[in-house]
Amino acid sequence: MRILVVEDETKVARALREGLEREKYEVVVAPTGEEGFFLVNEEEFDLVILDLMLPGRDGLQVLATLRKRGLQTPVLILTARDAVEDRVQGLDKGADDYLVKPFAFPELLARVRALLRRGRTEQLLQLKFSDLELDVTGRKARRRGQPLELTAREFELLEYLLRHKEQIVSREMLARYVWKETARATPLDNVMDVHINRLRRKVDEPFDRKLIHTVRGVGFVLREEL
Amino acid sequence: MKLRPRNVRSRLTLWYVLVLAGLLALYAGVASLFLFLSLREDFDRNLLQDIETVEGMLEKEPNGLVSLHASHPDTGEPRIGHFIEIWSPQGLLLYRSPALQGQALGAPPAPDEGSDDSTPSTVRLRNGARVRLASSVYSIEDQPVILRVAYSEEGLWRELGEFAGVLLLGFPIAVLLAGLGGYALARKTLSPIDSMANQAKQISAARLDERLSVENPEDELGKLGTVFNDMLGRLQSAFDQLRRFTADASHELRTPLTAMRSVGEVALQDQRSPAQYRDVIGSMLEEVDRLTRLSESLLSLSRADAGHVHLGKEDISLLQLAKEAVSSVEVLAEEKRQRIHIEGDETLFVSADRLILRQAIVNLVDNAIKYSPMESLIVVRVEQTGGQRAFLEVVDHGCGIPREHQPYVFDRFYRVDKARSRESGGTGLGLSITKWSVEAHGGAVTLKSEDENGSAFRITLPVIEHPRPRGPERGPQ
Repeated sequence: MRILVVEDETKVARALREGLEREKYEVVVAPTGEEGFFLVNEEEFDLVILDLMLPGRDGLQVLATLRKRGLQTPVLILTARDAVEDRVQGLDKGADDYLVKPFAFPELLARVRALLRRGRTEQLLQLKFSDLELDVTGRKARRRGQPLELTAREFELLEYLLRHKEQIVSREMLARYVWKETARATPLDNVMDVHINRLRRKVDEPFDRKLIHTVRGVGFVLREEL
Repeated sequence: MKLRPRNVRSRLTLWYVLVLAGLLALYAGVASLFLFLSLREDFDRNLLQDIETVEGMLEKEPNGLVSLHASHPDTGEPRIGHFIEIWSPQGLLLYRSPALQGQALGAPPAPDEGSDDSTPSTVRLRNGARVRLASSVYSIEDQPVILRVAYSEEGLWRELGEFAGVLLLGFPIAVLLAGLGGYALARKTLSPIDSMANQAKQISAARLDERLSVENPEDELGKLGTVFNDMLGRLQSAFDQLRRFTADASHELRTPLTAMRSVGEVALQDQRSPAQYRDVIGSMLEEVDRLTRLSESLLSLSRADAGHVHLGKEDISLLQLAKEAVSSVEVLAEEKRQRIHIEGDETLFVSADRLILRQAIVNLVDNAIKYSPMESLIVVRVEQTGGQRAFLEVVDHGCGIPREHQPYVFDRFYRVDKARSRESGGTGLGLSITKWSVEAHGGAVTLKSEDENGSAFRITLPVIEHPRPRGPERGPQ
């Protein structure tokens, strides 16, 4: 999978390259709009990550020209929070998704995966990880064969973690997809902590092997070790 | 080209002078008219008396004409300058006084002229002189004649002219004096404005504590000064608030930056294990997260300040919304074994943006949970109050808010207990966001807190009388 990152901020570009390469993607970085435009025309990419604030050629312009030429490559745009207009325009001009700067890297990864997976959605109704099993339709959770008593919110939280197993899930992602909140306000953070703690008590405490881990400063992850 | 005096003083004076001149002219006109009428009345009375005198002086000549017996024993000489004509009813001129020098006293008489007590009239002689003419019918030796007596009006007009002349002579003097007086008066009246303007010029952003001096707060200028001073007061408090905000905001920004810097610098001093590095990075990321949320809250507040926030309003039961808000944070209360009691009238509807108003309520409930002791009771109450308004009150039994902090709790970044609340992860913007949200909905949020007896935050909002709540199928996704 080849990803083109059009980003002029060197530090951000490097972080994106390293983070994506760690996930086994092939990454090409273009520091200007011109170069990104040139690369898109010359080479094949599976995804373009496009910063809207670029020197040289405006990000929106790149996007518009790209779409005018009939290129169907999915495009994820990065915008500043106060530029709602940009975001709307970007989606109008054919972007597939957007992310607001500063973004959490796990969220970027989740978006990238979703965009690359597009067209072949797989909504599994039986989720399994290690000795943890989730029956989404029956709303039943088991660990090592023992049923777990979960509240609705705890179940949704666990389901989300399970669907993103071994990937870090940020608080923003939980706020948006589990709590369906548009903004992540402070009280919600505390609410999240309480729910994660309760989930831990039910899912992990009775067992030796812990599955739910906190990644300090980033979010949570469901994995077997560390 | 329109001529317009530049300053109010001249404009006032000009108006004053114009109005005064108009009034004077009117007065002079009316006075002259009255004088004229009364002079003419005297004139006419004399004329009618003279007709009777002349009647006694008439003598019939043998040739059928009539002559004037000038030296009547009773009256002596007739007055100089009066003209007499005598006509027969058939229109035959019987006598014309020589003073007329052959000019006719107007048209020949109609047959019935002088038969009734007609008032004298003014006619013009051929040489242009105006005369006042009275006629009567008189019989000399059984022969009726029409007697016409006239005086020149010259004297009358001269007298009137003299009167008007005196008035006209005084007119410019009066207007000039009035203008000067008016100008001085306007200048004196308006002089406080000049001094106010001069004082106002001295007041800058750095010296907002100064005030204009108000001599008499009761008069118009005093009121203006008071209003201006009130405005200065508001400006000053806004500036103070801004200054406080800038100081607090930079403090809020510096705290996570300092933490990141020292954590990073200390970590780089020695070799550490990967786990330790991970911990350091995690700790720095936590601070980044805090900064991110801070900047986002600030941004949404500044968007709100700029009026860029669109409220998607719908009719919502306030109690329903309170329940939603409570349910979203009630696990926090459960953790502290606190009880949240919700009560009130479910039929009170407000027009509101569900998300924004709910967040406002969530912030209040979250605060109540945070600052109340374990196992205490928090009451959320929705009730109607006067003037088509409803209130939602969040009452806790926490430590309360000291009186000296109360005016500022809604200010951005204001913290009652600086150390403690930052530790609990707040941005210090919760209450100011609540205040903004409620005010954006046409409401108000107030705080009532007795020392150490808990506090009560109250949101007051206008009530919708005939609500049209959204059906559940159109609720938020």
